[in-house]
Amino acid sequence: MPARNHTQWMATPPLQKGEWVDSRVYTDQEIFDEELEKIFKKAWVPVCHESELPKAYDFRTTSIANEPIIVTRGPDNEVRAFLNVCPHRGMLIERRPSGSFYEGQPSGNPKRMTCMFHAWQFDMKGNCVYISREKEGYQDRLPKENVGLRRLRCEVKFGGFVWVNLDDNPISLEDWAGEPFQCLRKTLEAEPMEVFHYHKAIVDTNYKLWHDTNCEFYHDFMHYHNRVTGFNDAYFARKNESFEHGHIVVGTFEVNYDQYEGFESRAGLSFPHLPPNQWYMIDLFPGMNFNLRGSALRCDVVTPLGPNKVMIEFRGLGLKSDTPEERQTRINHHNSIWGPFGRNLHEDLIGVQGQGTTMRPGQEPRRILHGRQENQTIHDENGMRHYYDEWGKWMNRSPSNPELPYSAPAIAAE
Amino acid sequence: MDIQTEMTAPPLSGGLDPAQAREAADAVRNAIYRATILLDSQKWDEWLALCDENFVYDIKAWSPEINYDMTYLHGSRKDLEALIRLLPKHNTDHSPLTRHTTVYTVDVADDGATAKTVSAFIVFQHLLDGTNSHIDSGESRLFLVGKYYDTFRIENGRALFTSRETRLENRRLDKGSHWPI
Ligand code: FES
Ligand SMILES: [Fe+2]
Repeated sequence: MPARNHTQWMATPPLQKGEWVDSRVYTDQEIFDEELEKIFKKAWVPVCHESELPKAYDFRTTSIANEPIIVTRGPDNEVRAFLNVCPHRGMLIERRPSGSFYEGQPSGNPKRMTCMFHAWQFDMKGNCVYISREKEGYQDRLPKENVGLRRLRCEVKFGGFVWVNLDDNPISLEDWAGEPFQCLRKTLEAEPMEVFHYHKAIVDTNYKLWHDTNCEFYHDFMHYHNRVTGFNDAYFARKNESFEHGHIVVGTFEVNYDQYEGFESRAGLSFPHLPPNQWYMIDLFPGMNFNLRGSALRCDVVTPLGPNKVMIEFRGLGLKSDTPEERQTRINHHNSIWGPFGRNLHEDLIGVQGQGTTMRPGQEPRRILHGRQENQTIHDENGMRHYYDEWGKWMNRSPSNPELPYSAPAIAAE
Repeated sequence: MDIQTEMTAPPLSGGLDPAQAREAADAVRNAIYRATILLDSQKWDEWLALCDENFVYDIKAWSPEINYDMTYLHGSRKDLEALIRLLPKHNTDHSPLTRHTTVYTVDVADDGATAKTVSAFIVFQHLLDGTNSHIDSGESRLFLVGKYYDTFRIENGRALFTSRETRLENRRLDKGSHWPI
């Protein structure tokens, strides 16, 4: 078809409902605010890895849906999560990204979370254990027993990731993600892992566009590395499998790393229970990704900041038992592709930023096509179709016209 | 020895005389500044020509978030040659980078054959693509800030890089880069 006029451009494509989405799902402020309430405040988010708080009294801070969160490890070795908000006058209790409460703070005692403002102190279970000049100010009206922190659902699972849910009564984490993790469960739980890589990107794009990129492999055309190390019959036979709750898993094949100049096989450092050079990908609704390329595990977590802004945290993990040499090799394997100076990540980020440029609040709505049907193999777009069907249910909106309530797509999302 | 001592201190026993030390330090300093200009103008091969056969390159950063000394990129000279050769195959942000480098210290070894330096750098990104080039092109942004820890082999008055450790302060790296820093 030649280039189209406006009417032709806006016409419904010759695809079935469910095979495209309306770009307002990426640009609308009202939809975004609703996503934080309806999705992010109810979903399990892997906020960090347990190796980031290895010792008793270590902490890590994070946030979900604008709510600041603190994760601590107690003297009982339990990892717990709380809102990082002081019950007195709302000060952020801990300001640093990580550290330890083992030593005292300027306003408080050792082994306590202390709010620096008026020195209220909390133990690692979130109990308030000290109110400065308590009796003088509150007499018997407000005992410290009544002003504990807000505790959050928190579990260490699927390879030591720390999962937090802002909802007090969520679906169990096992029921939420046990099935998609099945393919890697033995591998991830064989022995303790350790985070060796962390960096973040803030990109002017919608968080779902990042997740879409993680869910579809058709974009291997923009990765020279993937084309030369991947494209063969086994690659095109990889399955894109859908799971309940909007998750997908991309099955494995053997990557030929030595087809890319300067790269080596990752066979020597395969994760436990895996044949050499395998590549698995688990994409969890609403925006978390676990990507295992033979010798290194990558985990992406999105923090939506606005309809057109997302923070992506990137982590790389190896085995805790690695020798220094093994670790360095794993790091090289991870970062030569996925690091901030690696071959693929830069390309992926340019891609989603380009989409963010054409899909900003105020721009004319467009149709974004998710209509490739290839027997649910690697270049099929069933992963995205499956995701948006789930999204439609959570939001009670139709992804192809978000002003309409949800209705099942013409072709069942696989 | 630091720059101060290199200028004023008497030769150590068995060490260099001050004139030789000064010459060696000058050669090292020149190599660092020349490297800056060659990297800025993306003359990658000419940059590598300033490096020894056994050159090792690293981009590193300490992460207080995960409490870990991270290596973002690591490569031998051969790795870098391959990386550079394949750059045209990759989709890369077109915005040029320029570095502002200041050599802080030059320590020439007593035998005058090697040297260690510490330099500070700031890398600016001069937006070409930007988010929307119509709006953003022409804007310069701070991209990276950190220090270079370099080592050299000095031969016939010429200083060759034997290693460069690029240590970043920023860990919010947004789109990152395909290029050596
Ligand atoms: S705001 Fe925290 S003690 Fe007052
Ligand atoms: Fe990609």
